[in-house]
Amino acid sequence: MAPLPTTLFDHFETTVNKHPDSLAIADFKQRASYQDLFELVGKVSRYLLESGLKKGDRVSLVITNSVEYAAVFYGIWAVGGVTVALNTQAKAKDIINWVNHSEAHWLFVDERHQEFKAIAAEIKSDIELISVGRGTSDYQTEAAVSWQQILDQTASEPNISLTPSDLASIIYTSGTTGHPKGVTLSHGNLSANIDSILSYLELTEQDSILNVLPFYYSYGNSILHTHLAVGGSLILENSLAYPHRVMEKMASEAVTGFSGVPSTFALLLGRVNIRDYGLTNLRYITQAGGAMAPALADKLSSALPDTELFIMYGQTEAGARLTYLPPTMLKEKRGSIGIAIPNTTIEVRSKEGKVTQPGETGEICAFGKNIMQGYWKDSEKTAEIIKNGWLYTGDLAHTDVDGYLYIDGRSSDMIKSGANRISPKEIEEVIQEIDQVLEVAVIGCPDEMLGEVIKAYVVLKKNNSLEKRVIQRHCKSNLALYKIPKTIEFIEELPKTASGKIQKFLLQK
Amino acid sequence: MSSEAKIRNYILENYLFTDDESALDSADSFLDKGILDSTGILEVIYFLEDEFEIKVEDTEMVPENLDSVNNIVSFIERKRQ
Repeated sequence: MAPLPTTLFDHFETTVNKHPDSLAIADFKQRASYQDLFELVGKVSRYLLESGLKKGDRVSLVITNSVEYAAVFYGIWAVGGVTVALNTQAKAKDIINWVNHSEAHWLFVDERHQEFKAIAAEIKSDIELISVGRGTSDYQTEAAVSWQQILDQTASEPNISLTPSDLASIIYTSGTTGHPKGVTLSHGNLSANIDSILSYLELTEQDSILNVLPFYYSYGNSILHTHLAVGGSLILENSLAYPHRVMEKMASEAVTGFSGVPSTFALLLGRVNIRDYGLTNLRYITQAGGAMAPALADKLSSALPDTELFIMYGQTEAGARLTYLPPTMLKEKRGSIGIAIPNTTIEVRSKEGKVTQPGETGEICAFGKNIMQGYWKDSEKTAEIIKNGWLYTGDLAHTDVDGYLYIDGRSSDMIKSGANRISPKEIEEVIQEIDQVLEVAVIGCPDEMLGEVIKAYVVLKKNNSLEKRVIQRHCKSNLALYKIPKTIEFIEELPKTASGKIQKFLLQK
Repeated sequence: MSSEAKIRNYILENYLFTDDESALDSADSFLDKGILDSTGILEVIYFLEDEFEIKVEDTEMVPENLDSVNNIVSFIERKRQ
């Protein structure tokens, strides 16, 4: 009898053998069956092996959602490598910083990536740069290896033995330039979390999803792996900019699932009439990536009365998922993020570390096989949030008498805008680079569409003047688009405690 | 001010943070060039509806109408006919 799958790669291989001709991924230029994808995975892995990859070596990628993304990702796993999938919206400086921090020796980059030239110019000479695409881009220049060279390889059969404790992926979450935070997830972590998600979503090879969430992002990552694990299909649409097109594709592809963050649904409900598209096959919707206003969940449910809505909560540090609200409880437990997913234990604990009483706010703590190994090369930060195997999430919540969780806020000052978790410090560091700026404080302000938008309070040096847009332009040159402050306010001084600590809560009033 | 100038000014001011006309080619794709993201496109739609007193229908929200200054100018002209 074949051994039971212990890693996501095992799941994938099993699926390829069972359903070789089923559609795995459709992107804007191709429709790849499981066999097609497996063939491509074999070519990537052959190239990596021949260029010297050994088990545990890190390989980074900056690729938008596509068949190639999945092929590179699983190709790395096929030979025991560790994936380091990076934010495709990031600037070259951040990308290079993460590559160096992870000590990856390979970097796959979309040939059309706007930062391609800058990356090629600045990357260390011992890192192999591989351009991904058809060689038609204006941006792509002096990549060491072209995608065609990968396609010319003879596919290799995976022959590596992986155990659950082997490192699978590093996911960089927000962090400042000097202190990147790389969440390390083992094959066991990811596999445990994907198995839990599969059990409550009841996904099968009959399911197909229209996916708009980036795969480098933890939520998107879990969507990719859940579908490839069961033989489902992923239909990719890389932008929500044109909601009508997204809805039309959902209808024409007769998808059974759709996943989004609160802003995804705010945008869709705000601009299109979902009822008009006849989404009769749509079995379920999932929402995670920040608290969704109950009123928005109500609107979504009434627009799609025959579709199950799963409200979920999680963290990258937990492989993605921690809780879900069963759709049958949506009305009864309005506003709740639900209960622990299978095989994970959740407790709300007080500052003293005791389990709180119903109604009492405390910190969400989680225990299970899905909890990360730690932050890459940062035992100090790891020890701050993982204690005796429990993950301290930094999110504040209370339970009701039935044990259902309700989010009350965050204990850290991270900004959550759309799907993105943003470190205010990173933006403050960039604004602080401007000569005329004395000091700066960045906060998140409530926003109906995005949850929060970024606001910067800036104090200028004496006798200096500065246009707000100069600050925004500087941010645009140095930060991803979603990190540019929407508003900037000049003030005389920042509110501080006697010891000089900035009191951001006063700015938020 | 022409429609094109109004749209160019809006994009330059709010997304490129400059009045340097050379920073934006009217044929530049907003998404491909990283000028706007999906929320930015939505903000542009609200701007067009206010500024030009038009209603952008669901089916009109496509890149052919909205992904560059040139596309928007042609779209506005068609809407006004």
